Amino acid sequence: MARSAKTALVLCLDVGFSMSNSAPGQEPPFQQAKKVIQKFVQRQVFAENKDELGLVLFGSDITKNNLAKDDQYQNISVHRQLMIPNFELLEEIQNDVHPGSQQADWLDALVVCMDLLQNETLGKKYERLNIVMLTDLNTPSSPDQLDIIIGNLKRAGITLQFFLPFPVDGGGSNPPHGGKALSREQQQGLEMTKQVMMSLDEEDGLEEVYTFSDAIEKLSVFKRVEKRPMAWPCTLTIGSSLAIKIVGYKAVCEERPRKSWSVVDAQTHQKDDIKRDVVYCLNDDEETEVQKDDTIQGYRYGSDIVPFSKVDQDQMKYKTDGKSFAVLGFTKQSMINRHQFVGTQVLKVFAPKDDEHAGVALSGLIRALDDLKMVAVVRYVYARNGNPQVGAAFPCIKEKYECLVYVQLPFMEDLRQYSFPSLENNKKYTPSEDQLSAVDSLIDSMMLVEEDKDGVKKDLFKVNHIPNPQYQRLFQCLHHRAVNPSAPLPPMDPWLTTALQRPLAVATRCQAPLETLKKKFPLKEVVKKKELKTSKELFGNSTEEPDAKKAKVDEEEDFNLADITEGSITQVGSVDPARDFRTLIRQKSLPFGEVCQQLTGRIEQLLGNKNMNYYIKCIPCIQTFREQSVQVGNADHYNSYIQSLKTSIPVRGLQEFWDMLVQDALTLINKDEVDGSTFSSHDAKQFLTAGEKKEELVAAVVDDTGDVDDLLDMM
Amino acid sequence: MAQWNDYHHEDEDVDGEERDESGVDYKSTGRDSLVFLVDASKEMFKGEDEEPSPFDMTMQCVRSVYTSKIISSDKDLVALVFYGTEQSKNPRNSFKHVYIYHDLDLPGARRVQDVDGLRGEKGAQVAGETMGSGNTNLGEALWCCSNLYSDIKLRLSHKRLMIFTCRDTPHGGDSERDRQARTKASDLKETGVVIDLMHLMKPGGFDVSLFFCDVVSPPEDEAELGLQMEPCGKLEDLQKRVRAKEMKKRSVASLNLCLGEGMNVAVGVYITALQARKPNAIKLYRDNNEPVRTKTRLYHTQTGSLLLPSDTKRVQVYAGRQIVMEKDEVDVIKKFSDPGLELIGFKPMERLKLHHHLRSAVFIYPEEEMVTGVWSACVNVFALCKYTRIRNSPPRFLALVPQKEEVDDGQAQIAAPGFHGIFLPYADDIRTLDTTQLPTASESQVDKMKEIVHKLRFKYRSDAFENPVLQQHYRNLEALALDLMAPEHIEDLTMPNVNMMDQRLGSLAQEFRDLVYPADYNPEGKTAPKRKPAEAAGGTEKKPKVEMSEDELRGHVQKGNLGKLTVPVLKDACKQFGVKVTGTKKQELIDALTAQLTK
Repeated sequence: MARSAKTALVLCLDVGFSMSNSAPGQEPPFQQAKKVIQKFVQRQVFAENKDELGLVLFGSDITKNNLAKDDQYQNISVHRQLMIPNFELLEEIQNDVHPGSQQADWLDALVVCMDLLQNETLGKKYERLNIVMLTDLNTPSSPDQLDIIIGNLKRAGITLQFFLPFPVDGGGSNPPHGGKALSREQQQGLEMTKQVMMSLDEEDGLEEVYTFSDAIEKLSVFKRVEKRPMAWPCTLTIGSSLAIKIVGYKAVCEERPRKSWSVVDAQTHQKDDIKRDVVYCLNDDEETEVQKDDTIQGYRYGSDIVPFSKVDQDQMKYKTDGKSFAVLGFTKQSMINRHQFVGTQVLKVFAPKDDEHAGVALSGLIRALDDLKMVAVVRYVYARNGNPQVGAAFPCIKEKYECLVYVQLPFMEDLRQYSFPSLENNKKYTPSEDQLSAVDSLIDSMMLVEEDKDGVKKDLFKVNHIPNPQYQRLFQCLHHRAVNPSAPLPPMDPWLTTALQRPLAVATRCQAPLETLKKKFPLKEVVKKKELKTSKELFGNSTEEPDAKKAKVDEEEDFNLADITEGSITQVGSVDPARDFRTLIRQKSLPFGEVCQQLTGRIEQLLGNKNMNYYIKCIPCIQTFREQSVQVGNADHYNSYIQSLKTSIPVRGLQEFWDMLVQDALTLINKDEVDGSTFSSHDAKQFLTAGEKKEELVAAVVDDTGDVDDLLDMM
Repeated sequence: MAQWNDYHHEDEDVDGEERDESGVDYKSTGRDSLVFLVDASKEMFKGEDEEPSPFDMTMQCVRSVYTSKIISSDKDLVALVFYGTEQSKNPRNSFKHVYIYHDLDLPGARRVQDVDGLRGEKGAQVAGETMGSGNTNLGEALWCCSNLYSDIKLRLSHKRLMIFTCRDTPHGGDSERDRQARTKASDLKETGVVIDLMHLMKPGGFDVSLFFCDVVSPPEDEAELGLQMEPCGKLEDLQKRVRAKEMKKRSVASLNLCLGEGMNVAVGVYITALQARKPNAIKLYRDNNEPVRTKTRLYHTQTGSLLLPSDTKRVQVYAGRQIVMEKDEVDVIKKFSDPGLELIGFKPMERLKLHHHLRSAVFIYPEEEMVTGVWSACVNVFALCKYTRIRNSPPRFLALVPQKEEVDDGQAQIAAPGFHGIFLPYADDIRTLDTTQLPTASESQVDKMKEIVHKLRFKYRSDAFENPVLQQHYRNLEALALDLMAPEHIEDLTMPNVNMMDQRLGSLAQEFRDLVYPADYNPEGKTAPKRKPAEAAGGTEKKPKVEMSEDELRGHVQKGNLGKLTVPVLKDACKQFGVKVTGTKKQELIDALTAQLTK
């Protein structure tokens, strides 16, 4: 796998007039060929390898090549010398490559390409020289030179690929699916193509002839650069006296994009115009800044903060001596739960390539484990001072090779043992026979692996054949933006959307069973939020926009279907006071003051219940109250309500609720936010915390027993 | 409004979206709290035979919860309260025979040490001296605990109280006290406290129905009734039982599973295995060891003005061209569908390959009958689903493997019913390896190895291995916090017990070696010849410097084949033209040069 070696490749595109001909309703061959080239170049650009690319057009109106002399090699133009493809080339192909009005012999063009390849690669090392010919073969060409050309190709070690509008086999007599029969020239050309390809490679020559439509489909996938697998040589040990040399390779690992986004200034698009600065400050009111040199490192140990310098830490930390793949013992495969696999990779462990003895020894272990259905539990250390892992090495025997498959297993600290209510023997719900058979037939109809006539199993949805859609989409957008800097991002490629969906055949097949299932199971309303727990749920739509600023709480989002169907809201109800409040403010049907009064009324009502659930419901109300007041620019109602609320806290035993307000930093509205406010931002903050420590009157929980003495005790 | 952004905190840097699957944030949900209410009566100190006393077992258990809280959930609050003591210690000492050993607070090094002091025989003595054993009034003890909760200023999301006792009739038939305790317990339960009973072995058997059945919280589900009614006789069982309860299970997400158009059913997504890592260091101010806050600011290097995130854009450079996008666009590119699970179809179990592993699996619990139906009907098949965790997270495919419920002898659940969601790799995630065929082992060689495997068999348990790196780290911290001379020694369970293995193998290892290796073969020798040290080549003999004219370089830039040049040449060229480069990667050099020369 010599990666450093590169390929030189010449794209040879027929732009002659016949390429523009097509049956009605069909894309002309020229357009198809252009797409093939675009996709191919695009792929090369993003792969960023060192392969070089040239572009030769034939049938062009102009002539530009080294061999042109008198009437020889006319209408062939070398559009681009060999070089690493870039966006300029993509733009040129998009904007400057048009169908011509001439015709040229494709064999002549081939000679020009060979000449180009040979001249430009002189004295440099290439792994492969290749010419890609895209043509409809619709020009008369002279076969007399054919043998010489083939000879030259062979001598120079140049490989050839053909892309044609029609399939190579059966094209002669049967008309291609376009309905148009091949012309005589095309038939002749096809014969010659076959002759060339077969003489270059007797067995597989014709496999290098593709149709345009096939190629477009295949090239649509942005291929990621193959990473050269990194070998990890180590020694597998069993006790102190048994060792086997091994080499590990990462076999499965989440692939990350090679490049990441960097941050630039929005105006200049310069990275250097932006600097990120980290400052340290004390946790005091003034937020006094301190120098980095005046800080030391520490860790939390529960409630303690322990200063722990880097030097000490390095000295005291757990150390490993070096790489290790030491067997701790063997256990039954059934003892290892696959859902407890941790880590982010799967390793395959082989014996070194040139070491037969290690091969035999490892094979002994692999076969023994396989026969006994056991695994080796292994201590794995990647390198000196790497963190040790405990993992399982499974035997894996394939037709072509044998290896161990290593996966990391959890440490005790990694596990969370939750228990869940039983699903079987469940009094509340056990599926009936009827329901189960409905599910069974659904499962049958949705099987993705099916057997064809010959008993061969076919998987309709192979995840490991789907390219990671995230990167496909990313490259699609990058390419689009690179070539059209000011246009909005393109919609998702249809092929990608389709690739991620239930296969059509299955989707149709499961329609009926799904309908049955729907009838057999009483579908609950899909209102599943049982309790308000997280801020996401608490603050509803606002978190839909995770990084939206407070002020950006989107107005539009409130116009949901529910609003319309519920009819117009005329007052702040108790179900969702915050939403009603917002709606009313927006509708402006009532004066601001009155809406505020309605809301505070509801809040008071909720607070009267003295229960955490009601408190939780109040928080978004107050929050919305605050937001809307800031937006409207009227702070009076909000500020006065909060002030009066505060004074009533001790009396009403609402300290718990007040603490929530403090935690959420629902301060008074200050001058900076609304002009009319009489509070500075400092005052507003102070207001929340001041008096917090004065006294805490705990709400008296009414005791059922009514024991008065105890009640007093408690206070 | 910290909560807002905190919930799914997306970092400035890109691709961070999938990092934090655990996704639980204390600020938004409040904290978990746990009160250990431990019986300190004489019966608790009576050990049977060689077994540790119930009290000793309880203390070991409390200690392990303390340390595990410190490691895995250091924001949770824990308290330790004894009842049935002679002495009393609680605010204003209004409750008799209740001894608050630890207030509801974060566990720290000191507390761990305190609990250590109560372990073993010596601990029993210490407990006898400080607290003693006296009358029992569980009602008072529960009341005292309820005050612990109400004195806390923080928002508590989950309140749990565990009673450890070996007496099934704590008040010895005093019905008045029984009634009081029941009332108090129901008060506690009403305020959202979950009360668990960790009952320990009692001679003659522990009868829950005598008293405690009315005190503890009803199980989450009726079906659970009948479970865990056996008392714990072993420390291991007790620890397992406590561990299963001690952490509130939190779903990472509550999502809809879409079976087909318009057929959405609810499921909960949970994390059951997540690699615990060493927490990040915090910065402290040198003078007072107080933590400092870090503030990150973006500013413009030319004008010095502070920049808002909206003043920036994102770029990537390909083939020398800078491609610019808005931050929002970068995010939106990642969006494929709304959060949820979408059923694609089913596959036979054997289609799920061992090597289909990318990261820890998730646990998916059916919340509606239709999913439960699918769960029951999944036999030897798994469901293939498209999984979108949150908005703007690109899809991944999950194999939903049904898991049947399993319980151990003590009726404790060891495998919860539901689905395991196994992440499946995409084409990009699978690497092609070139493999060579090597000679395989003969039958006699395999048989010899089988003997070896037999000798070294053990029963693997997933919780058997502690992470030595973490353990060492926390022992170090503990030692520093308590001013110990040296950290407590950890037993590194990941190290093979070579002596024992050798002993068990006896001559087998040698016999296997003789079977597979020729006499002169050294399996421990270096595989590859070591790379020649750089000094050998002679440090002085450097490669001749390649000077390149500006024109030449421009030519390369225009042709776009800077990539042909070697890194040293590029570096020299950068120096020559005064181009500043931050990185040393080839592409970075090329980008920098291209930028400079096309200005």
